[in-house]
Amino acid sequence: MNPYIEGMQALAPELVLTALALIVLVADLLTKGKDSRRMGYLTLAGLAVVGGMLALRLGEPSQTYFGMVIVDSFGTFFKLFTVAAVAVVCVFILSDKNERKNGIGEYYFLLLGASVGIFFMVSTNHLLLLVLGLELLSLASYALAGFHKGQRKSAEAAMKYVVFGGLSAGIMVYGISLLYGMTGTLDLAEMATLAGDSIPTGLVPQLYLSAMPVGVAMVMILAGFAYKMSVVPFHFWTPDVYEGSPTPVTTFLAVASKAAGVAALLRFVGALFPVDGVDEIIMWYGDRFGMLIAVLAAVTMTLGNLSALRQQSLKRMLAYSSIAHAGYILIGVATRTSEGFDAAMYYMTAYYFMNLGAFGVLLYFESALGSDRIEDMRGFGWKSPLISIAMVAFLVSLTGLPPTIGFYGKYLLFKVGVAEGLGWLVIVAALNSVVSLFYYFSVAKSLFLKESNDERPALSQPLFAGLLTAIGVLTIFFGLFPDSIQELVEMCSLLGS
Amino acid sequence: MSVPTEHLVILAGILFSIGVAGFCLRRNLIVMLMSVELMLNAANLTFLAGSRAHSAGGEPMLEGAVFAIFVIVVAAVEASVGLALVIALYRRQQTVSVDSLNQLGDA
Repeated sequence: MNPYIEGMQALAPELVLTALALIVLVADLLTKGKDSRRMGYLTLAGLAVVGGMLALRLGEPSQTYFGMVIVDSFGTFFKLFTVAAVAVVCVFILSDKNERKNGIGEYYFLLLGASVGIFFMVSTNHLLLLVLGLELLSLASYALAGFHKGQRKSAEAAMKYVVFGGLSAGIMVYGISLLYGMTGTLDLAEMATLAGDSIPTGLVPQLYLSAMPVGVAMVMILAGFAYKMSVVPFHFWTPDVYEGSPTPVTTFLAVASKAAGVAALLRFVGALFPVDGVDEIIMWYGDRFGMLIAVLAAVTMTLGNLSALRQQSLKRMLAYSSIAHAGYILIGVATRTSEGFDAAMYYMTAYYFMNLGAFGVLLYFESALGSDRIEDMRGFGWKSPLISIAMVAFLVSLTGLPPTIGFYGKYLLFKVGVAEGLGWLVIVAALNSVVSLFYYFSVAKSLFLKESNDERPALSQPLFAGLLTAIGVLTIFFGLFPDSIQELVEMCSLLGS
Repeated sequence: MSVPTEHLVILAGILFSIGVAGFCLRRNLIVMLMSVELMLNAANLTFLAGSRAHSAGGEPMLEGAVFAIFVIVVAAVEASVGLALVIALYRRQQTVSVDSLNQLGDA
């Protein structure tokens, strides 16, 4: 068959998603923005179609199209993750009592545009497509963060996001240009295997020539990933942007955008520095790169947890907690083994459930109380018991205690960390989990153990409450029966099989 | 006689450093966005230098040149989004200084 048509068939989910984004935009224009809820339902229906197309592809062998787009189970896993996260974010927007009902069709268009960026970002080993996907995601996220441009906080959040995003994109692209100048290729798989003779091409001859410039380029490229995952020292934007953005957008940034950064980093490290590298200098260099990531992991989780301790606002606390979780995920990346990558993917799944849930409950409190301060939630657990009990499940999972999915995720990460000689990092992570217990449980304490002085009744939102309860049940269910997700992760493993 | 590759790479390095210094030292949001553009253009120069250096053997290596064109597009889009947000900020606060971004932060 014509390779062009074949490639287009392989890219069907991306094409459908792009078409959906444009349809939503035009339909909202044609209806003059009246009743944007319909656009939300249209988006949900379209996402269900894309999700179905992706689910049918799980387990198919890896193939490369157009020389840069890799269609494999690893990418499909993160695409499904994105679709599932964006669908929940759409339900959040539809349930948000503070949101206008009309003229917000662009909300869905921007979300879908960002998803297209993620789709390409997680399915390539080519640095050009990686940068383009990352920029598409970033640009849509800037606009989403500033969606309530009339509110000072939202405008400020978007501005801070743009400024930090521009800086990290500039550093990353310059690093890529240096790496290209040294190795003569933009394809990571080719870069790792090429062995040029006259001009140094490929990574191996370049490393033999001099390792220092490669190190500079690598650290610069790492800056781009660190920004998307909010890893120290590119985390400064996180608390402010999370606090200022509308809560559904914060959820998107915390879950889908971070997963995209994790997936791209896994591909980058997996292609260039697998632990069973072909050449001894790659192994030597990979060890140093892994150590750098391990140190970043330790600093990130410690800083995130210590800063979260003194937060009064639940939204800011969850922002710092998401920084800390980026640190935990990096343990799996730092091992550079198939098991480590699988553990990171498993933890991302756990992160999906517990953070979507926690941000959903935050949105509920904001609607009911008009405040995100932990103090104002005193005694609320007795008014809306179902949602509050779900919240306790999310908090237990975020801390990493049994019987939740977060416990099993952390167990896998710690196990592979110890097995790969990162025992010190696992000890740091375990101590950090103890620290995180304090601030997560201050929320639970405020919900159930304090008297309320607020006479306002609980909100009645059966659909939204049902969704949150379902996520809460799944958080515990997959903690008790982790095998199904484990099998899925192993099927989609990047380095294994 | 063409310019040696080393000179181009050094010039790009200087441009990038000016960009980083400008980003860190200036308080005006528009100048900070300009500094980011400078960093991206330093990357473009390096890409083109690398593209030429690797084509020297025989067939041309266009990957770097194509990347540079895409970076120009990305830089333009980023500038447009950034400047739109600067305008939104200016309408509200009559200033484009980063010091006016003080609503969010740890108490």
